[in-house]
Amino acid sequence: MSREEIYEKLNDVFRDVFDDDSITVNDATTSADIDGWDSLEHINLISAVEQEFGIHFGMGQIVSMKNVGEMVDIIASKVK
Amino acid sequence: MEITSFAFIIFFASILLLYYIVPKRWQWGILLAGSLFYYWIAGSSLLILYPVLAVTVTWFTTWVMEAAGEEHPRRRTAALIVEIASLIGVLALLKYIRFGETEAGGAAAVALPLGLSFYTFTLVGYAIDVEDGIARRQKNFFKLLLYGMFFPTMISGPIQIYRETGEQLTAPHRFDYDRVTKGLQRMVWGFFKKLVISERAAVLSNTIFDQYDAYPGAYIWFGALMFTIQLYTDFSGCMDICIGAAETLGITLPENFRQPFFSKTIQEYWQRWHITLGVWMRNYVFYPLLRTPLFMKLSKTFRKKFGRKAGKDLTNILAMFILWSAVGLWHGGDFKYVIGSGWLHWFYIVFGMVTLPFFKKVLPKLHIRMEGKGADLFRILRTFFLVNIGNVFFNAKSAGDAVKMLRLGVSEWNPQILLNGSLLTLGLDGPDMAVLAVSVAVLFAVSLLEVLPDRNGKVIVFGNYGPGYSSSAFIYQGF
Repeated sequence: MSREEIYEKLNDVFRDVFDDDSITVNDATTSADIDGWDSLEHINLISAVEQEFGIHFGMGQIVSMKNVGEMVDIIASKVK
Repeated sequence: MEITSFAFIIFFASILLLYYIVPKRWQWGILLAGSLFYYWIAGSSLLILYPVLAVTVTWFTTWVMEAAGEEHPRRRTAALIVEIASLIGVLALLKYIRFGETEAGGAAAVALPLGLSFYTFTLVGYAIDVEDGIARRQKNFFKLLLYGMFFPTMISGPIQIYRETGEQLTAPHRFDYDRVTKGLQRMVWGFFKKLVISERAAVLSNTIFDQYDAYPGAYIWFGALMFTIQLYTDFSGCMDICIGAAETLGITLPENFRQPFFSKTIQEYWQRWHITLGVWMRNYVFYPLLRTPLFMKLSKTFRKKFGRKAGKDLTNILAMFILWSAVGLWHGGDFKYVIGSGWLHWFYIVFGMVTLPFFKKVLPKLHIRMEGKGADLFRILRTFFLVNIGNVFFNAKSAGDAVKMLRLGVSEWNPQILLNGSLLTLGLDGPDMAVLAVSVAVLFAVSLLEVLPDRNGKVIVFGNYGPGYSSSAFIYQGF
């Protein structure tokens, strides 16, 4: 799956989780850029991403990813 | 050897001097020797075995994890469980074995090793990160020993994250005039908070908390306010000294405070007060809890039953209850901590979550705006007030005493005592009271400059430092 394809799916997940259709994420997007992305929502987001892509994040990856770009890196490494 | 004592200053100056004159590859050796020496003196001799043993267990179990590699995931997990069980086990045994007995009540007090919960959390976090593959294992036992026992973090933290500070401790550091002076300034600022403000506020809060029966109405609220000031300047002052000391050695420790009293909500408060504890609890308690099969299943069931939003909220409320119980327990084995630093804050957050839709509906009808500077100021003052109530529990002799105090606080309308000179009978004379008032005003002004966007205040620090104040212990030292 290309990064573009991942982003396409990921945008849908973000819009769904944060209930905001105007969201478009990119490599540099962080929790500060999206209203309501706190530590609670982070886990909900992770679960939604896992379901969408059929992958599993390690706990270390969940706490250490700094922006959406790093999340996409991990997704890209797990989906073939 | 308290870090506000002259003995500590001499110790620290010697370390600083040696650190920059020895060859760079010996620098971490100086830090390790200094840390062991400091612990031996300040942490009462043989108790040094506790952190040394904790590091030994951590070193051994992480070695097992690495040896097990990807082929034996079970062995890795088993090693991690051994690490967590032994370190948290010792912590629980030493701290909570006498749950509910207040300090005054227990004659046979267990001697607690210095920095117990701080080094425990630092080492447990490291082991989990090694297992997760986001921290590289420290192969050298003595380097890990330094990570676990680095002397500036032995009093009250900050709780470290290995991938942030681990390598810094043992890396060579060149003498950097700017960093050293900055660190020293930060230390002086910490001494100012602790010795000038906290010690004075403590006199007032102690008088009121010790004999609260005699101080109804506004006295109680004044006492609560003084304790909040005392606690903040004590803990954050200690952090300024510790983080500043590390800075002079070229080591950046994580921040523990970001002007917490400017928070608009309780959630925000906990992102700005004792930050490293909040981060630790989030990473190693809250997230793993939400990721357990039980909670994943609960979340699904709740969503089906109560709808998406309510289902999600319910799961979070439940998980937060466990989180806040852990935060409360961390503060001490007594209900006054579990309530004042745990459940009460959980209740604040849940109450806010539940009533928000109501306020969103009602307030516009009453023509009250929820946005803007006025609303923000209201939120800041409200949050500060709620925190003060929690602190009454924190500092009262027991949870029962705290409830009695809060009741007394609303039993009498006597705001005149704040202005008619009655406050001068609480143990501080006029000049000391003036020093306290001016110092708190300075602290407030500095904090305000720090939170206002795009402004850089130059801060002139002045302090009243003398041997009379050198024997003070820090509140969070016992945690």
